[in-house]
Amino acid sequence: MRLNSVNEKVERLYKSHFGKMVASLAYAFRNIDLEHVEDIVQESFSRAIVDWRDNGIPLNAPGWLYRVCRNHALNEIKEKSRLTKLAGEHELATATNDFSESILDDQQLKLLFACAHPDLSPKVQVVITLKYVINLKVEAIAKVLAMTIDGVDKMLVRARDKIQRDEIFLSVPSNSGLRPRLSTVHKVIYLVFNEGYKTSHGNDLVREDLCEEALLLTKSLLDCDLFDHETFSLYSLMLFHAARFKSRFNTAGELVDLEHQDRSHWSSDLITLANYYLKQSRSETLSKFHIEACIAHLHCLANSFDETDWVSIRKLYSTLLVDNSNPFVELSYAIACYYSGEKETCFYTLNQLEQQPYMRNYYLLNATLGKLYACENKSDEAITYLEKAFNQTKATLEREFINNSILKIREG
Amino acid sequence: MEKFLLIVREDLKRIGQFTAEERFARSPDMLPWLKTLNDSGQYIMGQPLFVSGKYVTQDEVQSDGPFIEAKEGISGFDLIWAENIEQAVSIAQSCPMVMAGFAVREVRQLVKMD
Repeated sequence: MRLNSVNEKVERLYKSHFGKMVASLAYAFRNIDLEHVEDIVQESFSRAIVDWRDNGIPLNAPGWLYRVCRNHALNEIKEKSRLTKLAGEHELATATNDFSESILDDQQLKLLFACAHPDLSPKVQVVITLKYVINLKVEAIAKVLAMTIDGVDKMLVRARDKIQRDEIFLSVPSNSGLRPRLSTVHKVIYLVFNEGYKTSHGNDLVREDLCEEALLLTKSLLDCDLFDHETFSLYSLMLFHAARFKSRFNTAGELVDLEHQDRSHWSSDLITLANYYLKQSRSETLSKFHIEACIAHLHCLANSFDETDWVSIRKLYSTLLVDNSNPFVELSYAIACYYSGEKETCFYTLNQLEQQPYMRNYYLLNATLGKLYACENKSDEAITYLEKAFNQTKATLEREFINNSILKIREG
Repeated sequence: MEKFLLIVREDLKRIGQFTAEERFARSPDMLPWLKTLNDSGQYIMGQPLFVSGKYVTQDEVQSDGPFIEAKEGISGFDLIWAENIEQAVSIAQSCPMVMAGFAVREVRQLVKMD
């Protein structure tokens, strides 16, 4: 058996099954702690690589992995019970029955809802969703979330304690209990999408696979009748963004801003789909996702940057500010002010934001100030801000983009 | 959703030795944490505080007050939305300053006054 095909197969299975296997093994063997369960699952994948290279990939590859895990876990328990003489045969029997592949088909959604546990912070919810639902490895999570591997590890250790203590994976609420968690699930999905869409450190600016996962998860919510108006608006919002994926980079692989994107490359199929779900989302309550989807809709509606309905966009941002007032939204609001002709309000807002120590170090604030001062033909100010922004981002593509902007201003 | 104040407490004597710029250059990068809170719609506002302030009682205004050199003096705060105290605690735990052992956070729920 070729080494590559075995590795690829294992890699694929890891992506699709790691979280499920951990969750179901933890469920079947409640007295083994979660970290150890993960080790056992990890170990089964390592064994698969060695075994399959010699003996070929078995027909039921996931089944093979499950069997290895189960036997490993059973041995551990037997070992333990020999030492403590506590666990009886009864426990072994239940464990064996509970742990099989067949009951796990819908496990991904269950896990998603489990990860949306209201006692976990949004960041932790995202981290464990990436780990157990999307099955990213710690290194990948660290990269995507711009955290250190150590930081992710620390967070996972705490989360594992909590998951174990409160049986978070084991006590997934019943169908009626799922609804109250829906809005948290939306947020987690949105965060995953954002992490895929926005900057991650290093070269790959858009982790399209994460965005796809977020879209697929939302689609499965819709498919299993587990949705409300917010699900539609969230789906619509993400589809609008996804429609612009390809045009965010030019043929040389450089970042292109909204103003200079080739709008003919925007996916009209995705935009149509997004419009459809935006209509579906109509309801009396207006969520953050609704407003953001409307803004994305207006961007996609315009034939060019100049024809964009900036006045409506500005109004939508000010609506967003009512319930979601924070400096990040204010930044977007200020940009909409500028292009809708309210330059004074724009610079006033931006200069206010500059007073905040956190925001002063935010490259997007400085990049915005740089760009808008350049539009106002104030080259010196523009360059000062762009240089600040340059030093505040680590993403190679963004640094290139900022550097190019500086060069253009210098050339006049 | 309830409002919570996440108070930053750190060694004021230590940070008092630095200029504002040095102080923030030494602190871990807070933006990714704030960004996550913003994206989940939970971030309201936050601000670091100057080390020195005034201390006011009925009788007098002291220039510095008794906390100026406190080991765990208040050096900043963040106001956030959270489902419950557990989630607020969990958010505080994931704060980069806390994770790096740089500062501690006190988590307090705001009383609704309507």
